[in-house]
Amino acid sequence: MSPLSLALLGALVIPLFVATWRMSLFGLALQGLIMAALAYPGLQPMSSAESWLSIFDLALVRGLLAPLALYTVLRAQGAPSRNDVISANLFSWTLALGTVLAGFNFSEALVSEAGEQQTLVAVAVAGFLLGFLVLANATTPFSQMTAVLRIENSIALLELSGGQHSPFGLQLGMLAIFVATIGFFRWYLATLETSEGQLEAAPDSLTL
Amino acid sequence: MNPIVLVLLPTLLGLGVGLRRLRPHAQVVLVGTALVVSALAFAHAMLPSPELWLGDYVRSDATSRLFLALINPIFLGISAYVASRLTATPTLHAGLGRFVGLALVFLGASNAVVLGNHLLVQWMALEITTLVVAPLIVRPGVASSRLASWRYLLFSSVGLSLVLLGFICLGRAMEASGHEPSFFIDRLPGLGAVAAGPWGKSGLALVILGLGTKLGLAPMYTWLPEAYDEAPPAVTALLGAVQFNAALVLLFRVVQVYRPSNAALVTNELLILGLGSMVVSAISIIATRNMKRLIAYGAINHAGVIAIGLAIGKGTTYGVLIYVISNAFIKAILFLTAGKIKAHYRTKDTREISGLIKDLPYSGVFLLVGTLALLGFPPFGSFFGELLILSALVSSGHLYVFSIFCVVITITFVATGRTIFPMIWGAPKKVQTWPEQTFLAGSPKIAFLVVLVVLGLYIPPSISGLLERVAASLEGS
Repeated sequence: MSPLSLALLGALVIPLFVATWRMSLFGLALQGLIMAALAYPGLQPMSSAESWLSIFDLALVRGLLAPLALYTVLRAQGAPSRNDVISANLFSWTLALGTVLAGFNFSEALVSEAGEQQTLVAVAVAGFLLGFLVLANATTPFSQMTAVLRIENSIALLELSGGQHSPFGLQLGMLAIFVATIGFFRWYLATLETSEGQLEAAPDSLTL
Repeated sequence: MNPIVLVLLPTLLGLGVGLRRLRPHAQVVLVGTALVVSALAFAHAMLPSPELWLGDYVRSDATSRLFLALINPIFLGISAYVASRLTATPTLHAGLGRFVGLALVFLGASNAVVLGNHLLVQWMALEITTLVVAPLIVRPGVASSRLASWRYLLFSSVGLSLVLLGFICLGRAMEASGHEPSFFIDRLPGLGAVAAGPWGKSGLALVILGLGTKLGLAPMYTWLPEAYDEAPPAVTALLGAVQFNAALVLLFRVVQVYRPSNAALVTNELLILGLGSMVVSAISIIATRNMKRLIAYGAINHAGVIAIGLAIGKGTTYGVLIYVISNAFIKAILFLTAGKIKAHYRTKDTREISGLIKDLPYSGVFLLVGTLALLGFPPFGSFFGELLILSALVSSGHLYVFSIFCVVITITFVATGRTIFPMIWGAPKKVQTWPEQTFLAGSPKIAFLVVLVVLGLYIPPSISGLLERVAASLEGS
């Protein structure tokens, strides 16, 4: 296992045990940046627009834009620092570690030859399963958003571990959709927190 | 005619409504665009044209023709309903520009899903329909609708992530078996064997589970009753009758690609999702006292029936298609009617609504006929479709599925009737004076109703031919 793969696994697992929203966002940012570092050698000599777009997607959008977009909202709201990503008990922690092991075991069925590709697939599968574990435990919109972003990052990693490269137009379209999704997340995060407790105001006859 | 017009025209006009100059004419733009696009879609479905367009990214085969001719007229009906609501309640004009802009982009993206010849392009278009419809679920000042909108986006994002992951796994399966990874649908047939490995099996399971989420199939169905309940009626109809079919087309494409060389590949997954959804919907229908949720659970039941029919394949697909078309019109009728009823009674509680046939005669009749069609009574297309699926279940030896199907459908019938029929025929609980219901306001629902009845009695040869071609492609022949 290369140091970068190990670091990525750490970025996936450690925020589960440190129950603050800042750590969750820092973990997401790290995931994006490490994935960019993992992708960079394979994209050399960086002569095509597709390569630059991949780096832009991983480093800037996933590594910076997405966590920052949510960070600014939570900071403006003065959200309390504690945010349990998964329940803080021994059972949940065992489940999380078991999920990582399950991901590694499953990757052996998918990629039979041991090596860096198998490791990347293992980390991607573990990240995907952990994303679902977080989603299953999430009770607040922020935790649910974190879970979705974890799942999205794992998908990007799995794509990275293979040899498939989509044409520029498709890549751009998918990136635009991801950015739009982040925009929506930001909007919901800002409005769901403030709209809680509001009384039903609009009569039904006033809706199309 | 290049079918890309059906994508570009509504999308560009939808974006154009954002401009100040077009905004005052939003109502005309909505109805006019829906009318033109419906006419073009219908003409495109009936007239011969080349199959591939725009560098092979656009495909005009029997499946896309059928669904273009289905979702565009339904969108037209919904637009006419919105226009009639605006005439009756001029204050609604305030939020119209936003609605029209997003609804037209939604239509363009839905048409793109139907016309796509590339799985990733279709995925992107489906994601766009999700993103543009999510804000429409929000009713101004209603916190619960905002929460429902968020849950809709959350479940859709997860479901579509699963689909994307599934496609990536299928790409890896192609690589692993020495094929060049491609997501162009016309280049994929014959790759059924590729999906037999671990990448392929995982990929297909993820795609089916993800699309099942988008279609409201169990286990990830909980967004559906909430979103359908909280959204304004026109938006619920868009979700249930237009977006549902767009997602279904993507599922059809996957089945068309992978079934020919491995007929049993997705059978078990679809059977489990289908039966699970039917059971969940039956239990929920018994428990609910909310009119819109009841119809939403009925929609989950229908999605389950479609999944079961699709799972069996041979012999059921023609019935499935009839059922799909009927289902779209039934949902449009029932959700638009439910909106009218809710607006007048100011409640969704079925126990508070009684004597509809006297209070709101048109709405009472629409609710009655829509419910009968929902329950699969003759002479509606849903009866014909359900009959074909049931007989195919018996002839294909799936007797245990047949038995569960019959038990669940009977429970659903009794539970739905027990709730809906007193609403229609019961004694009015309150003395109220209703505004006159005009024929014009009911005309979209009347048109939907006519199609429903016609589907059960006589299918024109041109439509029947189209259905047979789509059915054959779904059976892998």
